[in-house]
Amino acid sequence: MKRVATAAGWTYLTAVYVFVIGPVVFVAAESVNSAKAFPSAFAGVTLHWYQAILAHPEFFSAAWTSTLIAAVSSAVATAAAFTAGYALRRRGRQESAVLSTLLASPLLVPQIVISLAMLQFAGLFGLGAGFASLIAVHTIHGLPFALRLVLTGFARFNFSLEDASFSLGAGRVTTWREVTLPLLRPNLIAGFTFCFILSFVNLPISLFLTDAQTTTLPLVMFAYIESRIDPMLAAVATVVVVVAGIATLVLERYLKIRLVE
Amino acid sequence: MPDGIEAGDVVVADVPWASHASPGGVDSRIGPLKGRRDVTRLLLAPSLVLLGLFLGIPLIVVLVASFQPNVLIPRDSAGLYNYTYLIAQPYYAKILVRTIWLGIVATIVTLPLGYAAALLLPRLRGRLANMAVMGLTFPILAGPLVVILGWMALLPAHGPLFGPLVRWGLIAPPRIIGTDTAVLISLVQFMLPFAILTLYTTIKQIPHELYEAAESLGAGPLREFRDVTLPLSMPGVLSTSIILFSLGASSYISPHYLGGAANLTLTTLIGQFILATYNNALASAAAILLLLIMVLCMVGLVLLFRPLIRP
Repeated sequence: MKRVATAAGWTYLTAVYVFVIGPVVFVAAESVNSAKAFPSAFAGVTLHWYQAILAHPEFFSAAWTSTLIAAVSSAVATAAAFTAGYALRRRGRQESAVLSTLLASPLLVPQIVISLAMLQFAGLFGLGAGFASLIAVHTIHGLPFALRLVLTGFARFNFSLEDASFSLGAGRVTTWREVTLPLLRPNLIAGFTFCFILSFVNLPISLFLTDAQTTTLPLVMFAYIESRIDPMLAAVATVVVVVAGIATLVLERYLKIRLVE
Repeated sequence: MPDGIEAGDVVVADVPWASHASPGGVDSRIGPLKGRRDVTRLLLAPSLVLLGLFLGIPLIVVLVASFQPNVLIPRDSAGLYNYTYLIAQPYYAKILVRTIWLGIVATIVTLPLGYAAALLLPRLRGRLANMAVMGLTFPILAGPLVVILGWMALLPAHGPLFGPLVRWGLIAPPRIIGTDTAVLISLVQFMLPFAILTLYTTIKQIPHELYEAAESLGAGPLREFRDVTLPLSMPGVLSTSIILFSLGASSYISPHYLGGAANLTLTTLIGQFILATYNNALASAAAILLLLIMVLCMVGLVLLFRPLIRP
């Protein structure tokens, strides 16, 4: 009886993973399928669709834009999250409910509303869509995630190490450079990477903020979907997935960062 | 440390290394020092300024815009007419109800599915456990595009899922793409990792001694679940349902790409107002309504679950 229950449990868990990851694996499999249509029965392995991406410069310029936006916004978000996390934990108390709600607020506001709000706000300065607005919303979006990973790091950080550094005559800057930052580095790297990936793949938050010159990869891909769906798009998506997957594995393996604590 | 020193007392002069103690860098055993603590608190400023400038003020701009006249409703002064218009017109009222309905149904479906998985996950050990958690973050990090692309390919009547069944005459060709079913399937798939991760964290934190105590008192697995796991995981269930409803009601990609143009939600309606009909005021009113719905549902969920949470 117990064995039956255990077997049922594992079957259920496997089914959940198939359901959650299945669509991604399916797209990846179709991207190397030599059949002409997407989707179709497996006809053989080919890298033709990856080669076909080369004929679409719009994907490359959008990928570059997305990279720039993700890099700048993640760097700002991680830095802001570090100082905020420091302030929250150094005080050694549980932060107030108001403060933690405020810092998590970008998660509670629908992304499309954030995009709309930035469109109107930037419009007040005659800015509207473009790089500046995109970087601003992506920073806001990344902040709670970066903060979460930074706080995981501070949970294990012993603040008396800082006191030891002060007692040896080091100032605040030296202490941060020599003690605090090196010990939190894995979490800062993880926070940056996590923000970077989430920014790179995000669509709704950029929806109203792109223009002819500045557009992000997810928006170009979805514009492409509106006209046709072909295996090349699966190839583009798979490239993104593989890069994100490798980054996640590296984080898990070498930095020992767990997203759940 | 001599007795009688209270938090806030200035004891700097008593401590030999105090002159080196930079702002905030005081021994936590003495407690925060007056005047110094504030400098540490200043480190919150970058985040709070970013949030205020790029989220708080912009949202106020949206709120103000939602009271303005527009092409559809020409008026001379500001007022609540955009809201009454969206609520009174059956076309828009239906969209409002649909948004709430999708959020609720997706939450009700996802919650038990996620709970069951979160109960099973702690039994995994070592590297497998790590991989299992990473596996759940994988679709989140892979991004919505690849997932939607997957469902667009999998769900058509003659696609790889239903095609064979249709060909063997087992089922009539189902119409799923462009319906609420497609939206719900992809929403549940998208929300499930969030549910499992949040509930897993809660369930893992329940002290093991409680299970040992329950067992020594003769409780079976079912009794253990009913009297230990379930009540102690209620706070997690509450926060999970809040997260799930927010994700469901604020999702743009699933309803837009799988629900079709005839099945709008508030998010896709905002998209239409801005990208197709250029109606800023109505888009703003719809955005504020969406925020209101989310807040009301959160309050509702808290009231619903509070009696179940033990202090």
